[in-house]
Amino acid sequence: MQTSVLERLDHTAEVYADKVMFKDPDSSITFGEFDKLTKVIGTYLAGKAQPGDPIAVMSGRHIHTPACFLGAVRAGCFYAPMDGDMPQTRLNQILSVIKAPFMLVDQAHLEAAQALDFDGEIIVMEDIMGTEINEELIAQRAATLTCTSPLYVIFTSGSTGKPKGVITSHLSLMTYIDSVAKVLDINDTDIMGNQSPLDYIAAIRDIYFPISKGASTFIIPKNEFAVPTALFGTLNREKITALCWSVAGVELPAKLGAFEESKPEYLKKLCFSGSVMPCKYLKIWQQNLPDVLYVNQYGPTETTASCTYYVVTEQVEDDTVLPIGKPYDNYRIMLLNDDNTPTKDGEIGQICVSGPILALGYYGNKEVTEASFIQNPLNPNYRELIYKTGDLGRWAEDGNLMFHGRMDRQIKHLGHRIELGEIEDTALKIDGVKSCCALYYKEKATLYLFYTGDATSKDIVLYFRANMPAFMVPRKLINLEAMPALPNGKTDMQTLKGYFK
Amino acid sequence: MNELMDILKELRPDVDFEKETALITDGILDSFDIVALVGELNDAFDIEIKPNNLVPENFNSAKAMMALIEKLQDE
Repeated sequence: MQTSVLERLDHTAEVYADKVMFKDPDSSITFGEFDKLTKVIGTYLAGKAQPGDPIAVMSGRHIHTPACFLGAVRAGCFYAPMDGDMPQTRLNQILSVIKAPFMLVDQAHLEAAQALDFDGEIIVMEDIMGTEINEELIAQRAATLTCTSPLYVIFTSGSTGKPKGVITSHLSLMTYIDSVAKVLDINDTDIMGNQSPLDYIAAIRDIYFPISKGASTFIIPKNEFAVPTALFGTLNREKITALCWSVAGVELPAKLGAFEESKPEYLKKLCFSGSVMPCKYLKIWQQNLPDVLYVNQYGPTETTASCTYYVVTEQVEDDTVLPIGKPYDNYRIMLLNDDNTPTKDGEIGQICVSGPILALGYYGNKEVTEASFIQNPLNPNYRELIYKTGDLGRWAEDGNLMFHGRMDRQIKHLGHRIELGEIEDTALKIDGVKSCCALYYKEKATLYLFYTGDATSKDIVLYFRANMPAFMVPRKLINLEAMPALPNGKTDMQTLKGYFK
Repeated sequence: MNELMDILKELRPDVDFEKETALITDGILDSFDIVALVGELNDAFDIEIKPNNLVPENFNSAKAMMALIEKLQDE
């Protein structure tokens, strides 16, 4: 039983010392060098921060960013990754929740960091590279950790207009990583191709498969996803064997016709998650790469990235609906009715999850934590928490779980989780927006904002671009004289959906 | 050109398409913008943009996009 991910890193750093661990187009770092770098950063941070402190990390899409994360852990702290491309308002909201005493940044993000509302101390990674490693101090700090200590806090959209920080422990992360690695058979011969931003939940496989299993990860430049021939060229040049991508990322090359030019020759495993896979795109992958292992994953950040998986063994057709499958090892799934009773066989109920993979809660938010993580209503005998996902599911006759959408107004767009209520809260802050309603046109993957008032669509888009992450900017803006209403006064969303085209 | 500018302005009103010359290279347009844009251009100009057309040189500026559209219309 390992107490923290540091034990894993100690092990892989020894066994694979001279092997490449992370690579980006400009540089690469071996396991040995990576391990040293985490100790350098850890020693410096341990001289400043207390064990258990949150360390905000804002660093770009390169090999040193995972070292910043693990450097914070070496100091007995946990990390809160932030995407420097996000607007200031969003980053300030995150900082106001996490209240970190220190922010670790790369030189490229120093200016952006200085412009934020941050009271703590900003530390530039490049400036502390000369720190001499203090093995004794590092060992002392490692000894302060237990497997239930927080490892990271990752932020996700919150319906009240403030992002929620999901806290994940070492135990949860290690449990998930081992379970998914078993299904995908990830080992030291694998080379991962990272698509997800490194601060986002979907990147944990690309970061922790190397640390846990000795695999390597190549960090693919973001703009290659707009140039499909370059993308496949990179997958082949780097001999990439395994991809854990968002559904949106898997769709892209199929949508843009990349297979007409070439195909990823070395790929063996493709795991996708984040939203429902439209099988017309998966079909294109299957036709071109029939021997690849395809795995559909389902699960929220609160249960450490994913909780169920389905190995796609059949040839899919355009209209195939993939199951979300069976729980990973150490995950337990139950379906509950609104009154917290178990559903009958074959009925739809809310997907609830228990096991050592549950998040420790939302950082600094007791109220929402207690509403979402509750005592298992079917267990009167001892303490057993479950997480209510807000997703609906049904057990099919073959024992696979089927996904039946959301209970609330949360959507998945371009692989990201968005509360439509947060889009509306944001729009209402704009002068000239009197009332509004955000809706998602799933078939076209388009975010609509219907509004009344004299704001122009340009005013609205500019405000969103300045204050919200790019994936939360509405694509279609419809200005109405009045919002259609139902007899009870609520917005008539069905009428609004008539505007979808 | 006007029709192209209208499409671009509706797609990304925050970008100055008259001036920018490194839309892809600098990451101003991301992959999701490109997917949306390719669909709209194919429909509006009755062309078929192929994957080998999807290189930065063809999308880095409005002018380059117009040249690509004209080339594809001639084919």
